[in-house]
Amino acid sequence: MKVRQSMTEILAELKKNPNVVHWHTIPGRQADLAPFPEKLDWRLRRALVERGISSLYSHQALAFETAGAGKDIVLVTPTASGKTLCYNLPVLQSVLADPSSRALYLFPTKALAQDQKSEMEALINEIGEPVKSYTYDGDTAGSIRQKIRQAGQIVMTNPDMLHSNILPHHTKWVSLFENLRYIVIDELHTYRGVFGSHVANVIRRLERICAYYGSRPQFICTSATIDNPREHGEALTGRKMTLIDRNGAPSVRKHFLFYNPPVINKQLNVREDEMLAVKDLAAQFLKNGIQTIVFARSRLKVELLASHLQEINTGRDERAKICAYRGGYLPLERRRIERGLRDGKIMGVVSTNALELGVDIGQLQVCIMTGYPGNMASVWQQAGRAGRRTEDAVIIMVASSSPLDQYITGHPDYFFSGKPEEARINPDNLMILMDQMKCAAYELPFQKGDTFGDEPVDDLCEFLSDEDVLHYQSGKWYWMNDAFPANEISLRSAVQDSFAIVDATDRGHVKVIGEMDRFGAMTMLYEDAIYLHQGRQYHVDQLDLEERKAYVHRVDVNYYTDSDLAVQLDVLEVDQHSEMPAARAEKGFGDVSVRALPTVFKKIRFETLENIGWGHIHLPELEMHTNAAWISFQEDWLERFGKDVFQGALVGLSHLLRHAAPLFVMSDQADLSVVPKIKAPHNEQPTVFIYDKYPGGVGLSKKIYEAMPLMLEKVTEMVEGCGCESGCPSCIGFVNEGRRAKQALLELLKK
Amino acid sequence: MRSKGKSQVSNKKNLFSLTLEYAVKGTIHVSLKQKLQLYKKQLHQAQKTASSSYVKKREMMEKTEDTVRETEQAACELNAKIRRFEDEYVLVHTEMLHLTEHIGPYLARDLFDTVSAWQRGSSVHPLSAAGLDTGDLLFFDTETTGLASGAGQMIFLIGLARVTPNGVMLRQYFLPGPGHEAAFYDAFLRDCRSLRNLVTFNGKAFDWPRVKTRHSFVRDQVPRLPAFGHFDLLHASRRLWRDRWDSVKLQTIEKKILGMAREEDVPGKMAPFLYFRFLKHPNAQLVRGIIEHNREDVLTLIALYIHLSGKVLGLIQCDEKETYEIARWYRQIGEEDQAKKLFEKLAVSSSGTGMRAKAQVGRLYKKEGLYEKALDMFESVIHEDGTPDDRDCIEAAKLMEHQFKDYTRAIEYTQRAIECLRGKKKMMGEGFPKREAEYLKRLNRLDEKKLRENR
Repeated sequence: MKVRQSMTEILAELKKNPNVVHWHTIPGRQADLAPFPEKLDWRLRRALVERGISSLYSHQALAFETAGAGKDIVLVTPTASGKTLCYNLPVLQSVLADPSSRALYLFPTKALAQDQKSEMEALINEIGEPVKSYTYDGDTAGSIRQKIRQAGQIVMTNPDMLHSNILPHHTKWVSLFENLRYIVIDELHTYRGVFGSHVANVIRRLERICAYYGSRPQFICTSATIDNPREHGEALTGRKMTLIDRNGAPSVRKHFLFYNPPVINKQLNVREDEMLAVKDLAAQFLKNGIQTIVFARSRLKVELLASHLQEINTGRDERAKICAYRGGYLPLERRRIERGLRDGKIMGVVSTNALELGVDIGQLQVCIMTGYPGNMASVWQQAGRAGRRTEDAVIIMVASSSPLDQYITGHPDYFFSGKPEEARINPDNLMILMDQMKCAAYELPFQKGDTFGDEPVDDLCEFLSDEDVLHYQSGKWYWMNDAFPANEISLRSAVQDSFAIVDATDRGHVKVIGEMDRFGAMTMLYEDAIYLHQGRQYHVDQLDLEERKAYVHRVDVNYYTDSDLAVQLDVLEVDQHSEMPAARAEKGFGDVSVRALPTVFKKIRFETLENIGWGHIHLPELEMHTNAAWISFQEDWLERFGKDVFQGALVGLSHLLRHAAPLFVMSDQADLSVVPKIKAPHNEQPTVFIYDKYPGGVGLSKKIYEAMPLMLEKVTEMVEGCGCESGCPSCIGFVNEGRRAKQALLELLKK
Repeated sequence: MRSKGKSQVSNKKNLFSLTLEYAVKGTIHVSLKQKLQLYKKQLHQAQKTASSSYVKKREMMEKTEDTVRETEQAACELNAKIRRFEDEYVLVHTEMLHLTEHIGPYLARDLFDTVSAWQRGSSVHPLSAAGLDTGDLLFFDTETTGLASGAGQMIFLIGLARVTPNGVMLRQYFLPGPGHEAAFYDAFLRDCRSLRNLVTFNGKAFDWPRVKTRHSFVRDQVPRLPAFGHFDLLHASRRLWRDRWDSVKLQTIEKKILGMAREEDVPGKMAPFLYFRFLKHPNAQLVRGIIEHNREDVLTLIALYIHLSGKVLGLIQCDEKETYEIARWYRQIGEEDQAKKLFEKLAVSSSGTGMRAKAQVGRLYKKEGLYEKALDMFESVIHEDGTPDDRDCIEAAKLMEHQFKDYTRAIEYTQRAIECLRGKKKMMGEGFPKREAEYLKRLNRLDEKKLRENR
C-alpha cells in the first residue's frame, strides 16, 4: 500500500519544484474581539451564547453600532469573516424591538438568497421569537406570496425580482414599504457594468417608492475587496456611506504559490497547458486525502478538469468524492455538493466562480486557481475558500500563457501589494436611464421639477411624453401606455433586443434554453456555429433575425467555433484628449460608432487549438454607439518601420492592452473590445481604440482613459519581461514580422 | 482591418444603434436636450412615427385651460354631468331604461323572476340570489389602459347597472385624465355603498384587483373600499361552454348563446389607444364608441345572469353537456341530491355524456352504500363505452375487491384500467407514471389476495 503524504511533505516537495516561481507566506492573525454591544437585544445575546459565541469580531460590533447610529454602511469583508451577522444583528434588533419593522435583502442570485434564508431561520429558531423571514423569487409558490407581501418581516430577493415584480406591484406591498427599516445589499461588487448601472436605477426606484410611503430605510452593503467600495456603494445607492473595512476575524497562516508551467516549445515560447498542471497538483492533494477546491474560468474547463480528476479514483463511491460545481446545476444537486463539502464526504470540487460568492461550503485546505481569475476581488474570494481553523492553508495560482498571467507571475510584489480594481457603473447611461425612467413612471407619476438620481426629470419626461409613453397633466407625468415596461427590460442582458436560443434537438419538445443580445447572437449564434451551453455543444441550424430566434440542436464534436469581425470605427465626438509626451502620443476619450460585420468563422479543435476549417457568415452589419478611449501615435512611425512591421506592433499592442485592462477596471473579456487602426478616421493617425461593448458605455473606457499612462507602463513591462524573440501568447501574440514588430513596439513605448 | 472614411450617425433602422453617448458628469445638464434630440431622431426612424417637436409639446402644455374647456364640451356631447371634487372632476352619465328594455332574448324585468326563482333554489350555489332583492345585484364592468396588472395601469371607465322596480338604472363614470382619480373613485364609492353583490365577467381576477390597486393611490382622499362579494359569470360560462370555443369571451357568448349582434362595436382592445388619443385631444367622438361598448357589456351581464340562472335552476332547456356540467357543479358544492337527479336523467342516454353521467351516478350510489346499483352503473359504462375511463374501471375493481370480494373480476377490471390508461399515455404527460404505478400496485395486491384465497 502506498503511504500517504502529509501536507508538510507535499509542501516540502513543492518547495523544490522549479515551476513554483514564487512563494508568499501570509502570517496567521488572531481574532480582534469586541464584547457584545450594550444595546444588543437580550434574546439575540442569548441565542449567540447558545451557539457558543461569547463576543463579536470587532467589525461585527462596529457594524452594529454604526447601523444603530442611523448610518448607511459599506462593509468590506473577506470570505468566512462572519459578514452575515454584520447585517443580521441590526436587522433582527430592529424587528425584535418593533415587529412592524421590515427589512429587504438583495442577493445577486436566487441560490444565495435561499442559503441566507436557512442561516437566518437557524438564528431565529435560537432566538425563539416568531420573526417571519421569506425568500421571494420566481420559485415562490403563488399561495404564499400574499402572506409574504403582508406579513414578511424580512424579505430576501434579487434585483431582477425587485425590478420586474415587487416595484411595479408596490400597492400590494404597502406594509413592507411603509415600514422598511433596512435594505441589505450583499455582494455589492457584483453590481458593476451594465448590470450594476441598471441596479443603481432599480434602487433609485425603490427609494422613490419608500419616500412615497413615508419610509427612509438604511442601507447595509457588503462587498469583496475592491478599490472603491465606498464610492461604488454611493454610486449604487445615492447615499453617503460609512466604510467598515477593518476585519476582526482570525485567519490561519496561508501559503500563496505561483506556479508557472514549463516552456515546452522554446521557439514559440509556448508553455505547458495550465490545465495539465492543475490536474497534477490537485491530484497530489486529493490522493492524500486533503480537501481541495479548484477554480476554473469556464464551465467547459470545470467539466473537463472534474472528469480528469475523477479518474484518479477507481470505485464508483470514490469517484463521487470529486465533483464539478457551476451555474446551471439544479438547486438540489448544488445543495448536495455544498453539504458534502461541509461534512467532508466530498474531497474535491472543481468550480466556476459560482463558489466565489457567499455559498456556505465551510473551509477547505487547498485552493488551486486555473489562471488568474481576472480580478483581485475574485482572487481573494477564491483564496478565502482555503483556511481551516487550525491548519495552514495552501493557495496555488497556476499561470496560463496570457500576458496578464505572465505579468503577474513575474511581478508578485505588484500582486501582493497592489491595489485591487475599481468597480464602475454608469447609472446615467441614457439608454439605461430611459428604460428605468419608464419603469419608474409606471410605478408613480413624476412631478415637474422632480429628480431621479441626480438628474432633473423634466426633459426626460417631456421626451417620453413625446413618444406617447407618458401623459402630462397639471404638473405631473403619468404612465399612459398599455405596456408593462419592466417585462421588456432585463437588468442583465445588454440591449433590450434579445434573441431566444431554441433547442430543436427533439422536434416534439422544442424548448428555449437561453437568450442573448443581438451583438452576442451575431458573433456566437451564426449559422453552423458550435454554441456551448451548460457544457453541452449545440450546432446552430438557423439564425432568424426577424423572429429573433436561433435554432440549435445538440451535437458532440471535438471543435468549437470562433468568428472574425470586420470592425469599422468612427469617432462621433471627442470629449477629452491630452498629450502624452512620454510616448510621443496622445490619448483621447469620446463617443464612437462601431460597425461590425461578422465575416468568417474558424473551427478550432479543443485539445490542440488547431484550425481545422472555416466558413462564411452571412449576416448584416451591426452598429453600436458607445464610449471609447484611444491612444494615437505619430504618423512618422509608419514610414520608419514600414507598414507590415508597424501594423504588427499595433496588433501586438492591442493584444496587450486587452489583457492589461483587467488590472485597472473590473471587467470581463466580453465587456471591452480593442481595435487597432493604422489610420484612424478622425485624426488619420495610427490609433488603438478600447471601447465599452455596451451601447452608451458603462464607464470602463473612461477609467481606461484616465489610467492610460499607467497601462502603457504595465504593457512595456509585459513586453520586456517576456523571454521570447518574435512574439508569443504571453506578450504580443503571433503577428506578422513578429521579431521586428516586438522591437518596434518597445521602441514606440519607450520613447 | 477595414477602415474607411468618416461616417456620421447612420440611418439604419436598428434599435441596437439607438445609443446615446454616455453622459459625462457635469455636462449632462447642458447637452441633455441635444442628446435627447439625437435619440429621438433615431427612435423615430425606427418607429416611423410622425414628427412632433418639443416646441409643439410646450404649446400643448400651455393649453391646459383649453383642455378643460374641451373636456366640458365633450361631457356635454356624451350626455354626462361633471361632478367636481376639490380641483378634480369626473364625468358621470346616468340613464334610466324601461323594464321592458330588450336585452338579447330577454327583457330587463325578467330578472325579477330569476331572483325570485333563486329564493326557492339552492342557497349555496355560487350564482344564487337567495335572500337578495333584485335591486341588490350590481352589474359591473370596467375599461382599463392596459391588460397588465401592475401599478401603472388605470381604470378610466366604470359602468354599472341595477334593475329596480322603476327601471334599469345605468351609470357610467369616465375619468377625464389621470389626475382625476380621487374624483372618479369618490363618485363611484359614494353612489354605491355596498359592493357585496357585484355581477361581473372575470371581475375577481381582472376588474377588482385593478380597482384595489388604483384606489390605494387615492385612499387618503376617498371613502374606503367596502367588502367585496361577487358573482363571476366568466366562471359560470366556462363551466358550461368551455368545450365549445378556444376561449370563453363575452362577445362570443352574446353572439352564439344569446343571439345578440352589436352594431359598429369598438373592440375592447382598442380602448386604451382611443383613450390615449382622447387625453391629447379631448374629443367626444374618440371615446363615444368605448363608452357604448362598456354600456352594452354591462347590459349583457344582466341577460347572461338571467340565462345562466335559468339553466342552473332548470327553467331553460339545456343540452346534455350543459346538464352534465350543471350537475357536476351541484355535486361539487355539496348539493348531491340535485346532482343525482340530473345525472340520472342523463344516464339513460347512450351518448358519451350519458356514459360519463352513469359513472357519476355510480359514484354517488357508492357513497350512499348502494353497491349493487353502483356496480351496475360502472359495468354498464365499461361494457358499453368503447373507450371507458381508467378511473371508472378502477371504481368497478374497488367495488369487486372490497364489497363483493371477487378478486378475479377485480383483477380483470384493474387490467382493463391499465390498458385504458396506457391508451392515453401521450395525453397525460407527467401524471402518467404515478397513476400507472398505483394501478400496478393494486394489481399485485389483488394477485396476492387471490393466491391467499386459493390456498
